[in-house]
Amino acid sequence: MINVQDLKIHYGEFVAVDNLSFSVKPGTVFGLIGPNGAGKTTTIKAIATLIEPTYGEIMLGETSVLHQPEHARRMLGYMPDFPPVYDDLRVEEFCDLFAHAYGQSVDQRKENVEKALAQTELTSKREELCKSLSRGMKQRALLAKTLVHDPSVMLLDEPGANLDPKARIDMRNLLRKLADEGKTILVSSHVLTELQDLCDEIGIMRNGKMVVSGTIEEITQRKQSSRTLEVELFEISPDLTEFVEQWPTLSELRQTHESKAQFQITHSGDRKEITEILSQMITSGVKITSFTTRKSKVEDLFLEIESGSSEFDQN
Amino acid sequence: MNPLITKGIRENLRTKHLIAAGLFSLIVCSTFYMTAFLQGSEGKYSVNPETNEWVKEESSPVNGARNAFTFLLALQGFYLMFLGTGRVASITAEERESGLLDYQRMTPMNPFSKIVGYIFGIPAREYYMFLFTLPFLAHAMFVGKLPWGNILHLYAVFFCSVILYHLTAHTVGLVVPKPRAASWVSRIVVLGLYVVLPGLGQAGISFLSFLTILPTYFGKIFPLLSDQGGQNVGRLESKLVDFWQDVPFFDFTISPTTFTFLMQGLLILTLLVTGYRKWRNQALPALSKTSALFIYSIFQFLLLGCLWTFFDKGEASGLIGQELSAHEFSGKQEKILGLILVIGIFFSLSLLFILCLINICCPNRHLYLKGIQRIAKFNLARIPRIADESSGLVLMLILGVITLFTYSVLIKLALHSDAWVLSSSFLSLCLIPAAILILAIIYLQASREQWFNLGFWGFVGLLWITPLLASLVLGVGWGEENVGLILKLLAINPLSIIPMHWMYEHSEIVKLPQEIAQNVNSAIQFGLLIAGIFAILLQTRLYFSRKK
Repeated sequence: MINVQDLKIHYGEFVAVDNLSFSVKPGTVFGLIGPNGAGKTTTIKAIATLIEPTYGEIMLGETSVLHQPEHARRMLGYMPDFPPVYDDLRVEEFCDLFAHAYGQSVDQRKENVEKALAQTELTSKREELCKSLSRGMKQRALLAKTLVHDPSVMLLDEPGANLDPKARIDMRNLLRKLADEGKTILVSSHVLTELQDLCDEIGIMRNGKMVVSGTIEEITQRKQSSRTLEVELFEISPDLTEFVEQWPTLSELRQTHESKAQFQITHSGDRKEITEILSQMITSGVKITSFTTRKSKVEDLFLEIESGSSEFDQN
Repeated sequence: MNPLITKGIRENLRTKHLIAAGLFSLIVCSTFYMTAFLQGSEGKYSVNPETNEWVKEESSPVNGARNAFTFLLALQGFYLMFLGTGRVASITAEERESGLLDYQRMTPMNPFSKIVGYIFGIPAREYYMFLFTLPFLAHAMFVGKLPWGNILHLYAVFFCSVILYHLTAHTVGLVVPKPRAASWVSRIVVLGLYVVLPGLGQAGISFLSFLTILPTYFGKIFPLLSDQGGQNVGRLESKLVDFWQDVPFFDFTISPTTFTFLMQGLLILTLLVTGYRKWRNQALPALSKTSALFIYSIFQFLLLGCLWTFFDKGEASGLIGQELSAHEFSGKQEKILGLILVIGIFFSLSLLFILCLINICCPNRHLYLKGIQRIAKFNLARIPRIADESSGLVLMLILGVITLFTYSVLIKLALHSDAWVLSSSFLSLCLIPAAILILAIIYLQASREQWFNLGFWGFVGLLWITPLLASLVLGVGWGEENVGLILKLLAINPLSIIPMHWMYEHSEIVKLPQEIAQNVNSAIQFGLLIAGIFAILLQTRLYFSRKK
């Protein structure tokens, strides 16, 4: 549904987005992750027709965002990273303004505003002036405004930034539901755990470039760098130290608790090798009570990429 | 109804606003109106020539209503032109800064509908306050026996001016690079366009006067209020009434209302083009190259039309213009100095307009780079000449040629006129102005396309204003000893070269001492040299930076 090809955006001499390419399938949620200044907001604004790229192509299905912006805008719903609202409008008036601007009839407007307010749980606040809402509520009002014209593509920049934990979960569930109904959602966030549960695919950006993208499983599988093995022994034994020293792909043995025989070992070999390590460890006399491979998290990868030490970055 | 007008009404006209604004308007209006009415209707004291005693005339409600009408008009102007314009400017700027304007940009409404929504929706409260003045207007018309036709005439121009002011404020809010500055910039632009520029109308460039409501007021209403009211019209008012009865344009005259509609319509068209482009895409320059060419051509046509009678017959309209007219001067020296002053104004206005268009239409490095990337993408040999991304040199040179064409027509008229005595040939009067104008355009265009706003305006400021200020200081301190140096400093600013050249060409008529005339000549050559060096240096630098 969203197809970004060779996107380049310059602000004067500064290159905000550099040769960015990615695509988002219809009915899926794609998460853009990256440190501040990575180019996420600029990318979203370019897709939203608010910034003209220096180069590249952005397609929404068959519609070119650059050459048919008016048509593209009918398909888009955009929610920026901070919630500006018309302070002196009531919540329902705020939503009605946009339904009206999208050319809906009075009856359609009534129905759609009602639906959007219900979806965002703002029905009880409909009569309140936007300026009296909390930041989180304003964020919801914005989401309601975004939903009111039933866009097929939604661009959400940091949608959970101002929400409390419950509202965040509600927002996540709502977005998931919308995606299941067929909407294509592009979302950026710094709250990585949130994206992990919400997104079908993610893309990690740094310095205007997409460092890695794909499903979370694909990314973690493709990540060939070291993983951590967590081992708990019946009692502290020098056999483990000896074993780690002898095994070529194992290194950095660390005791995680002084009083307990719990250790972490860095493994830099193939994943298939782990079963062999376990059996050899037992054979060599190490008394193991627990052996786990710590699942690599997107957060770890993100931190690696941010620090520039990731293999994706180096390749 | 337009959704943005509905929004404006909802935001600005809730019950509390309706009560507060309505009461405010009613109280202020009734106070002003009643005071003016009572003061005007009161019988005046006059000396009875027979008894030589002071006698009070009978009170006249007609005079009172007519007296109050002007106050009422001023109050209506205050609501819509002052408060309304300020609100449109500040709200547009605020919404742009907060990002609310982006929401509207993304809706599929036509950009013209968005402009209409903003300029009528935002000042909804001011329009509401205006409504409260209408009963007083009706009273003034009926009691004061003011003719419907003239009032309709006046209010048609009044609303046209209000729309123009609000549109100016909205467009400035969209255009100014720093939204926080937009509110102030809007007010300055509105003040400059509709207060300062109309002042130049009094110097003979009459079309500039027609950006305001004043010509119609003085032409259609003021004589009515004064004559019928039996009040004495002062000399100044009488001149203003005369000035705005008809507008000299080429060899014929146009009614002030028609000319006001023509002028304001053109400006509204320009602002709509800019607003439309900015609503479609914030990154686009305010004017395309084609519209810049069109607007500048009309500007030059209007200048030519207004200055025609001055150069042809030596007659100029306006309070200052009449003073500059050839028949007002007895000697050749005064006449030529008046001519030099008007030529200076002509070149200053033209060059300042070109300077603004250079800033708007010449692409900065970012835009040019975008053009280069696009031609690579579409396999084009070069950026199309009229594209926003293409170099502005050709367009600016065309604007220069248009200016020189107008100038040469005016010089031809002056050379063949009996009103002026010129001691120079057509060619010698045209060559130096042509050279300095073209060189200035070349270096200004190159500097704009190399540097961003700050660099460009910094360069213009340093090159044009600093030498002027330095020569002023030197002139006050060591004027007699350093005439040559002062003139050379002045000549760095291209606007000074043209009057200097005219002085040199007519040195005998203006009785310029030989030594000073030589200094003027060498200063002109120095100014040309500086402009030439800048033109070559900056164009070369631009060429190599683009090649790289």
